[in-house]
Amino acid sequence: MSRAAKSQAGVLRLYQPFLWLYPAEFRDEYRRELCLAFVDRWREEHSIAGALFVWLHAIFGIFYQAPREHYHMIIHDLRYAFRILRKDFSVTAAAILILALGIGSTTLVFSLANGLLLRPLPYWQPERIIAVTESSPKDPNETTQISFPNYFDIRNRTRLLEDIGVYDNNQAAVRGEGSAERIPSAVASDGVFRVLGVEPLLGRAISPEDDTPGGPKVVLLSEELWQRRYGRDPHILGRTLQIDDSRWTVIGVMPARFHFPDRADLWFPLQMNPLKARRTDYFLRAIARLKPGVSVEQATSELESLLEQIHRENPAVNNNWSARAIPIRDFVAGPYRKAVITLLVAVGLLLLIACANVCNLLLVKASARVREIAIRAALGATRRRLLRQLVTESLLLGLAGGALGVLLAYLGIPALLSLIPVNLPLWMNFSPDSRVLGFAVAVSLLTALGFGIVPAFGSFHADLTDSLKEGGRGGTSGTRSKFMRQGLVIGEVALSVILLAGAGLMIRSFLALRMQDLGYHPENVLTVSIDYPESRYPDGAPARAMLRRLTEEVSSVPGLISTSFSSGIPLNDGWGRLFTIEGHPLELKDMTFINHIVVTPGYFRTLDIPLLQGRDFTEDDFDAPRIVIVSDSFAKKNWPKESPIGKRIRFGPPKNSEPWHTVVGVVADSKHGTYKGEDRASVYLPYNSEITPNALLVRTAGDPLQLQQSLRSRIVAFDSDIVVSRVFSLEQIIDRAGWQDRFLTVLFSCFAALALLLAAVGLYATISYSVSLSTHEIGIRMALGASASRVRAMILRQGMTLAAAGLFIGIVVAFALARLLKTQLYQISPNDPATYIAVPILLILVAALAAFLPTRRATRVDPVIALRHE
Amino acid sequence: MRPFLLSRDTFHILVALADRDRHGYSIMQEIAERTGGEIRLSPSTLYSAVKRLLEQGFIEELEERPDPEHDDQRRRYYRLTKTGKRAAMEEARHLEKLLSDARASGLARKRA
Repeated sequence: MSRAAKSQAGVLRLYQPFLWLYPAEFRDEYRRELCLAFVDRWREEHSIAGALFVWLHAIFGIFYQAPREHYHMIIHDLRYAFRILRKDFSVTAAAILILALGIGSTTLVFSLANGLLLRPLPYWQPERIIAVTESSPKDPNETTQISFPNYFDIRNRTRLLEDIGVYDNNQAAVRGEGSAERIPSAVASDGVFRVLGVEPLLGRAISPEDDTPGGPKVVLLSEELWQRRYGRDPHILGRTLQIDDSRWTVIGVMPARFHFPDRADLWFPLQMNPLKARRTDYFLRAIARLKPGVSVEQATSELESLLEQIHRENPAVNNNWSARAIPIRDFVAGPYRKAVITLLVAVGLLLLIACANVCNLLLVKASARVREIAIRAALGATRRRLLRQLVTESLLLGLAGGALGVLLAYLGIPALLSLIPVNLPLWMNFSPDSRVLGFAVAVSLLTALGFGIVPAFGSFHADLTDSLKEGGRGGTSGTRSKFMRQGLVIGEVALSVILLAGAGLMIRSFLALRMQDLGYHPENVLTVSIDYPESRYPDGAPARAMLRRLTEEVSSVPGLISTSFSSGIPLNDGWGRLFTIEGHPLELKDMTFINHIVVTPGYFRTLDIPLLQGRDFTEDDFDAPRIVIVSDSFAKKNWPKESPIGKRIRFGPPKNSEPWHTVVGVVADSKHGTYKGEDRASVYLPYNSEITPNALLVRTAGDPLQLQQSLRSRIVAFDSDIVVSRVFSLEQIIDRAGWQDRFLTVLFSCFAALALLLAAVGLYATISYSVSLSTHEIGIRMALGASASRVRAMILRQGMTLAAAGLFIGIVVAFALARLLKTQLYQISPNDPATYIAVPILLILVAALAAFLPTRRATRVDPVIALRHE
Repeated sequence: MRPFLLSRDTFHILVALADRDRHGYSIMQEIAERTGGEIRLSPSTLYSAVKRLLEQGFIEELEERPDPEHDDQRRRYYRLTKTGKRAAMEEARHLEKLLSDARASGLARKRA
């Protein structure tokens, strides 16, 4: 090879790789021309500078032109895709709608998951924050709050925690300057704010000096409360506010959207005395910040050994419980995690069905397009070019469906949240963010590839000459495509059966939950929380006189049947206490908790809880306390063979100085603490001078909610300093207690219904299409004397075979998967026979309908016309 | 005035093809010569324009080799189509009009 030829080849070797920047089609078409022109041009120049110029010019030209070629190609593909999609408007619209439903539901559920499980919590370096809990020796997942002395000792001894703080949820009655109101608040030790690492907007947070027993009466406000109640008063710092019964000085305002825990708007220093606090009062929640580099496991093992040490030093209060560090995210979102994951799985199945459905539509379309594609291939379009065109169409469909889906999700979030009857903690933020949007785009693109690839490849398998010959009837283009379509329908049916079975189990479980015997009749009961100024009505005679007059006042409201006060609203407020049966002392670790409920006479009548033995409380019991009424299960468990009347119990941990209480009556069991699952036994105490009840319960003749206004105004007229809040019917309270189950059931059922609909549409479309393909065959059969009903039966059989195959697969898979739902189900086995009978019946009915509709068209075929097609 | 139909490079290509059919490098050479080396198209600019002109039907690719002297079996030759010629003439008319407007307003030298 000559020197010139060698250098030419070298130059080309350098030039050619840049051509990869072009789209493949352009490169294939012009590579040779580009190289020739470049070499010719290069040969023209003899100087080094000239050669360098040619080089740079050529490379710059490629960098400039290649993206433009890509752009032209994409625009061209999009235009063509757009034309094709518009031509088949009904198919396109159906596909977009199906995709929008699938992608929209997925995005909607992902928004929930994002708000609960993914979005960073609004604190400084939240990954280093943990919750410190005590955990049961039987099940480390069973955790409880911590007692103040335990917290105090851990704080003084820890080496792995940077800081630790404790807090408790509370409600504060804010009076003065406008109407009195009850505001969610918290008491917190000084460490809480340092652990969270959030600086106040104004002033300072609670300091160690504030948080000492008998320390200053200071309070911290949320930005929202400062705005709403105090009009952003610039002189708020140092101002004293009338809260509950004292005046509190404002020391700071926290920044906007800071609420911890849950929804608190006010924070008070805890100011507990470690010497006076009891080690067995597990009522505080603790959070801590890990030192940099310390893992949650390391923290847990330190906490375990610290608690062990504490128990060794205080053997009397050793309950054998251990301690655990839980990442703060898991701690706050834990109760919702399972439900959200269940929904994600459900919606994932729904998305798969939507995908299969659109895939099916496109397969039908693809077989109708075989001729078009064959012609384009004959005209020289490369396989890659055609594939790219088909994928562009899918992507366009996917993105259109995705856009509509995101819109649906965006509109759906408020609707979904309106299904939730309780105020959610404010750290939950479900507004769509870039993560949700990115997810939706990714799902749309993946979906598009999912449903687009199969039909696109399918198109090439059709034999070119055959399809041209066939004259575009789109006819026999493969048993392959037919099998694929049938496979998809079977898959769709199977997936929808899985969802239906899940929904069936959830509905059954929810009904069982709603129909459980609560032990009282919640209809026509109104519940009200009241806060009265303790300075004016201190516990004892003054409070008693006030309650008596208030009871009379309230009872005179027309439509009231019965009135009573108690220390808590069922399923809403609870106080658990340890107890000892006289003559049967137990170690602390063997003790159990009971619901400790203080009531005024008339409580059992108001709630309709039957008295089984002994007597009810009377007015005179106020002066002769130390008596209790116990629930039936409590009596049966503790005195199985004797009458409980006259027996004595004592509250609190073992070896204490609490007085004995005598049992005077037994009432039927009722649910107070736990709505879903086993409740603790209950012990009722008569209202006495030690605890003043703060919940009002009334039974009404008609709709209790009708009375809420007159009841509220009667109480305010009695004393405007009494704060009335949380007015609900008992049925609303029960609704709120079961909201998670209802929410999950409603959503899951909606997804299952959508799945069934999509599967039915898929079945209908497939049968319909195959009827249109076999017009000829049907014509011959009818010409040979087949009756319309035989033809109908033939088609129906075809549809039902597919449905039955899907049903069989679906039931088997559902049966295997159902146990994953076990923890969500209430008193229903994952193998619940009713569900597994009802689901197939429903599916067969719907499938029969979907397969029956096309048969009507088939039997309208005129044999003469059908055969004329030949 | 309506916008110009053709870009500068495209117009040059059409002009280069006006007298005879050419292959790509010959088009590049012709333009460079005619403009005294002022305008030099890179191969990529040329073939992007060629592709567009083919799509628009302004030029066509030849089956037979028109120029036995310079014929190079490996190369593709292009010819101006009737549509292309019409478009180029239209463009020239616009340029003429523009030039005469420029002269009238003193922006260009009057013709000698």
